[in-house]
Amino acid sequence: MSKPFAIMAEYETPAEIMAAAKKVHGEGYQKWDVHSPFPIHGMDDVMGLDNAKVGWFTFFGGLTGFVTGMVMIYFMNKFDYDVVVGGKPLFSGFYAFPVAYEMTILLGAFGSLGGMFILNRLPRHHHPLLANARFADVTDDKFYVVIECEDERYDENLTRTLLEGTGAQHIEMVEDAQ
Amino acid sequence: MSETAAQPQVETHTPKELVRQPLVLNNRPLGWITEQVAGIVEGKMPRWWNVAFTISFLVMMMCFTYIGYLILTGVGVWGLNHPVAWGWAIVNFVFWIGIGHAGTLISAILFLLRQKWRTSINRTAEAMTIFAVICAGIFPGIHVGRIWLAWWLLPLPNANSIWPQFRSPLLWDVFAVSTYFTVSLLFWYMGLIPDLATIRDRLRKNADKCTTGCEKLINKVKQYLYGIFSMGWIGSNRHWRNYEKAYLLLAGLSTPLVLSVHSIVSFDFAVSQLPGWHTTIFPPYFVAGAVFSGFGMVLTLMIPMRALFKLEEIITVRHLELMCKVIMATGTIVGYAYGMEFFIAWYGGNPYELYAFKNRAFGPYWWAYWIMISCNVISPQLFWFKWSRTTPWFIFVVSIFVNIGMWFERFVIVVTSLHRDYLPSSWGYYSPTQVDILTFVGTFGLFMVLFLLFVRYLPSICIFEVKGVTPQADPHAKEGGADKVEGGVH
Amino acid sequence: MSEAVTTTTQESEETANWRSIPQIAVVIGLVLCIYGLVQDKQQFAFSYLTAFMFCLSLGLGSLFLVLVHHLFDAGWSSPIRRYCEHLACLLFPWLGLAFIPIGFLGPEYIYPWMRIEDPHADHALHVKMALFNKPVWYAASVILFLLWGWLTHRLRYWSLQQDKSGTPDFEGKLLFPEHLMVGFYRKFQGLPYEKDQQQVVCTRMMRIHSAYGILLFAFTLTLGAILWMKSIQHQFFSTMYGVYYFAGSLWMSISVAWIIGRILKAKNIIPQLHTLQFYNLGTMLLAFTVFYAYIHFSQYFLIWNAAVPEETFWYVLREKGSWAYVSWALIIGHFLIPFLALLRIDVKLTNRVMVPIFVWVLLMHYMDMYFNVMPEIHETGPSPALADLGSLLLLGGALIWVFMRNLFSHPVILMKDPRMGEALERH
Repeated sequence: MSKPFAIMAEYETPAEIMAAAKKVHGEGYQKWDVHSPFPIHGMDDVMGLDNAKVGWFTFFGGLTGFVTGMVMIYFMNKFDYDVVVGGKPLFSGFYAFPVAYEMTILLGAFGSLGGMFILNRLPRHHHPLLANARFADVTDDKFYVVIECEDERYDENLTRTLLEGTGAQHIEMVEDAQ
Repeated sequence: MSETAAQPQVETHTPKELVRQPLVLNNRPLGWITEQVAGIVEGKMPRWWNVAFTISFLVMMMCFTYIGYLILTGVGVWGLNHPVAWGWAIVNFVFWIGIGHAGTLISAILFLLRQKWRTSINRTAEAMTIFAVICAGIFPGIHVGRIWLAWWLLPLPNANSIWPQFRSPLLWDVFAVSTYFTVSLLFWYMGLIPDLATIRDRLRKNADKCTTGCEKLINKVKQYLYGIFSMGWIGSNRHWRNYEKAYLLLAGLSTPLVLSVHSIVSFDFAVSQLPGWHTTIFPPYFVAGAVFSGFGMVLTLMIPMRALFKLEEIITVRHLELMCKVIMATGTIVGYAYGMEFFIAWYGGNPYELYAFKNRAFGPYWWAYWIMISCNVISPQLFWFKWSRTTPWFIFVVSIFVNIGMWFERFVIVVTSLHRDYLPSSWGYYSPTQVDILTFVGTFGLFMVLFLLFVRYLPSICIFEVKGVTPQADPHAKEGGADKVEGGVH
Repeated sequence: MSEAVTTTTQESEETANWRSIPQIAVVIGLVLCIYGLVQDKQQFAFSYLTAFMFCLSLGLGSLFLVLVHHLFDAGWSSPIRRYCEHLACLLFPWLGLAFIPIGFLGPEYIYPWMRIEDPHADHALHVKMALFNKPVWYAASVILFLLWGWLTHRLRYWSLQQDKSGTPDFEGKLLFPEHLMVGFYRKFQGLPYEKDQQQVVCTRMMRIHSAYGILLFAFTLTLGAILWMKSIQHQFFSTMYGVYYFAGSLWMSISVAWIIGRILKAKNIIPQLHTLQFYNLGTMLLAFTVFYAYIHFSQYFLIWNAAVPEETFWYVLREKGSWAYVSWALIIGHFLIPFLALLRIDVKLTNRVMVPIFVWVLLMHYMDMYFNVMPEIHETGPSPALADLGSLLLLGGALIWVFMRNLFSHPVILMKDPRMGEALERH
C-alpha cells in the first residue's frame, strides 16, 4: 500500500533553491534534502552539512595497498624466490617502490569510489522519488527541496506553508508505493 | 569595506578586450545542454557513423587476424632480429599508453588546477584514455611469445613455486598499466553516474511517445540498463557532497598515477645501461611527451566530433585554443629534454653515449629522427600564432603531425639505440614486416570501434559539469532572490 | 582613482621598525663571515656558495610564479603578484652582486676543475672544455644575471606602469627589443595594438615577456645549476639536474610566498588577500612537495638501478659516513613530513601548521643545497660551521632588507590589473 513519503517543492533556479534551503535549515528540519542537476556551490554550508568523510576510505585503502605491495615483494623475493638479479639486494624498498606505489593508488581509488557508495547508501534503485513523474526533471533543469514525512518537525500544513513561502512554483506529496 | 578604508582603492575593471569568453556560447539554458548532449545518444545515428563503424570494424578484424597468425606461428613473423629485439610492439605499446595520458591530465590535473574549460572535453578524453590503454595492453600481451604463459607476469602461485622477479621494470609495467586502466575506468564511470541518470530519466519521460510495441520494448530495456548503471542517482545534495569529495580524491590519486605510469614505462629503458636509454630525465620527459601526444589525439578526435554532432557551442574555439597551448607547452618541454639529452651526452664524456646520439641524428635512421624533431618540436611552435590556434582545420592537421611525431619518437628511442651494439659485428638495420605494420594499423580499428560505440551509447560530454560552469548555475546570480543568501566560504 | 595612483607607500611605523631585524642580521652575518673567512677560506667559500644557491632559489622560484601567472592568464594570483615581482627582482642586481665573492673564491677554493693544470689530462674536463674554462664560466655567469635582470625588471616595470595607466604619470616606454616583440605580436596575433588602451598594453607586454621568458627561464636556470653547483664535481652528469634544482626552488618559493602573504594580510597591508590565495598556495606547496620527491627519486632510482660508476660515485659519496643520515633526512623531511602534514584541506589555512611547515621547508631546502655542495670538502659527513650561519644571515638579511624597501616604495598590490576583479570576487 502506498503511504506519503515526503513533500516536494520545485524551483527554477539555483538562487531560489538556495534561499529556500536556508529557510528550511533555519526551521530545524533534519530529514530533508536538496536535489539538483549539478552540485550547487555553497549548498553544503547552507544545509549545515559538515565535511565529507570519504577521505578516510581513501586513506586506509591506500595504506592497505602500500603495505600489501611491500610485504608481498618482501616475502616473494627475499624468501620464496631468492635469486640475485643485477647485483641488487634481495629486498630493497627502492625497487619495491614502484609496485607498492601502484597498489597504493589502486586500493586508494577503490576506497574513494566504494566510500562514496557506502556513505551515500547507493545503489538504491527503489527510491520513492524515482517513481515520481515530475521528479524526473531533477537530472535536467529543475531543483527540488524534499522534506520527509518522518521528520520530527514535519507537519502537513505548516511544512507546506513554509515551502509555499519560499516561492516554489509547484508543491506535491510523494507517495511511497510499498 | 571598513578594513580597507586606509588603503588605496584597487580598480577591478576589466577592459572589454580581456574579458574571458564564456564556456558555453549564446547563454543557453540548462535544458538545452541536456537536450544537445543526450539527444545524440537517443537519436538515430547518422549515415557517416554507420560507414565509419563498418570500416573500423573491418580494420579491427584485420588486427585480430594478424594477432591470431602471430600466436599460431610465433614472433618470428615480426621483423625482430639481433641486435634489435625490441621493435614495433614496444613502440606501439608506448605510443598508445602515451595517448591515454591526455585523458587523465584533462580529467584529473586540470580539475585540480580548477580549469573549468575541461568540463566540455573531459568525458571524451577519459574514454579515449581507456580505449588507448586497451590498445596498448595488446602489445606486451602478445610479444611475450608464448601467450598462454602470460599469467606468469602476475604474482599467482604455481606448481614450481616460482614468483615474479620484482626487480624487473617490465613487471612494474604490469602493475602500472593495470592500475592505470582500472583507476581510469573507475574515474570515468564515476563521472558518468549522474549523466546516466539523466538518460534514464529522459527515457522514462519519453516512454509515452513510443508508439509501436518494439519501440516500447527497446525503451524498457534501455531504461533498465541505464537505470542499473546509474545506481539510483537522485541528485541529492547529501550525495553530491560525498560525490564531489570522492571525485576530488580520485583526481588527487590519478594525478600521481598518470605521472607514475609513463615514468615506469620510461624505466623500462632508463634503468638499463644502454647508451641512449639510460638518462635521468626520462621520467618527466616521457610524461610530457605522453601528454603532448594525448592532446594531439584528443584534438584529432574532437575536431571532427564537434563538427559532426554540431557541438560548437559547447566545445568552443576557446577550448581548442587552450588545448593548442597545452600542446605547445608540452612540445617545448619535450624539446628541452631532447636538447638536454644531447647536451649531457656531450657533457658527460661517455664516447658511446655521444656516438648513440650522433648516430640518431645522422646515422641510418636520420629520417626518423628528423621526422620526430619536425613534428614534435617545430610543428607545435606554429601555435604561437593566434590564427593557428583558432582555425579548426589547421589544428587538425597539426594534431596529426603530433601523433606521427610521437610515434616516431618511440621508434627513435627504441630502434636507434639498439641497432648498433658496442661491436660493429653486432650492427644491423631493423625493418618491420607486413605483420608488424598491419597489426599496428589494426589497433586503430579497435580504437575507433570502441570510440564510435562510446559516442553512440554514452553521453560524450559531461552534462552535469557543463551545467555547473554556466552563469545561471551560480547561486549568487543577480536575479532571483540571491541577495537573501550570504556567500558561503568554501 | 588619482588618489590610488599617487599613493606610493603603505609603510607604517611598525613595518618601518621591522627593517631593523634584517639590518641586525646583516651585521651579525658580516662579522661571522669575516671570522669564517679568516679561519678557513675554503670552508667559508663553500658555506657562502650554499647560502647563495639557497637565496638564488627564491629569486628564480618567484620569477617562475610571475611567469606562470601571465601564461595561465590566472586570476586568483593577482593579489600576490606584486610581491612576487619584487622577490624576482632580487635576482638583479642584488643576487648578481652576491655572486661576486664566488667569482673571486671559485677558482682557488670551490671548483676543483679550475685548479687542474692540464685540462686535457682529465677526461671529464677535456670533453667539456668548450664550456668549462674560466673565461666562458665568468662570461656565462654575467650573462645569466643580465638576462634575469632584463626579464624581471621589464616584468615589474610594465606591472608598475599598469598601476599608473590612464593618468599623466604613465610613461610606459618600449626599450629596444620590445619594439620588435610588439611588432611581432601585432602582426601575428591578429589583435589591435592601440596606444590609448594603456592598461591592455601593459598586460600584453607582460604576457610577451612571459612567453619567451619561460623558455629563457628554463635554459638559464639549468645552466646556472650546472655551472655553479653541479660543476663542483665536474665528473658527475645527470640530465635531470636542472629540473631537480627547479623543483626545490619553486617548492621553497611557494612557501615563502604563502608566509609573506600571511604577514601582509595580518598587518592589514594587503587586506585583499583571502582564503583563495592561501588555499591555492598551500595546495601548490603540497603539489611541489610531491613533484620534488618525484624528480629526486627518479634521478636517484635510475642511477641506483643502472649502477654505472661514472654516475654512482656522486651518490656513493653522499651515502658514506654521516651523510647517510642527511640522505635519509631528505627523504623523510623533504618529502614525507610536509606531505603528510599538508594532506588535509583545512591545514592550508591554519597558521599553527603552516608556520612550522614554512620554517621546515626553508630548513629542508637549505639541507638539500648543503647535500649538493658540501660533500666535496667534508667527505665523512656534514660539519656545520659558523660561516654557514654567517653567509645565510648576511645574504638573507640583505635580501629581506632590499625586498622590504622595494615593497613599500611601490603600491603593495596591483592597482589596475584586469584580473584583479576575479581574485576579489571569489574568496
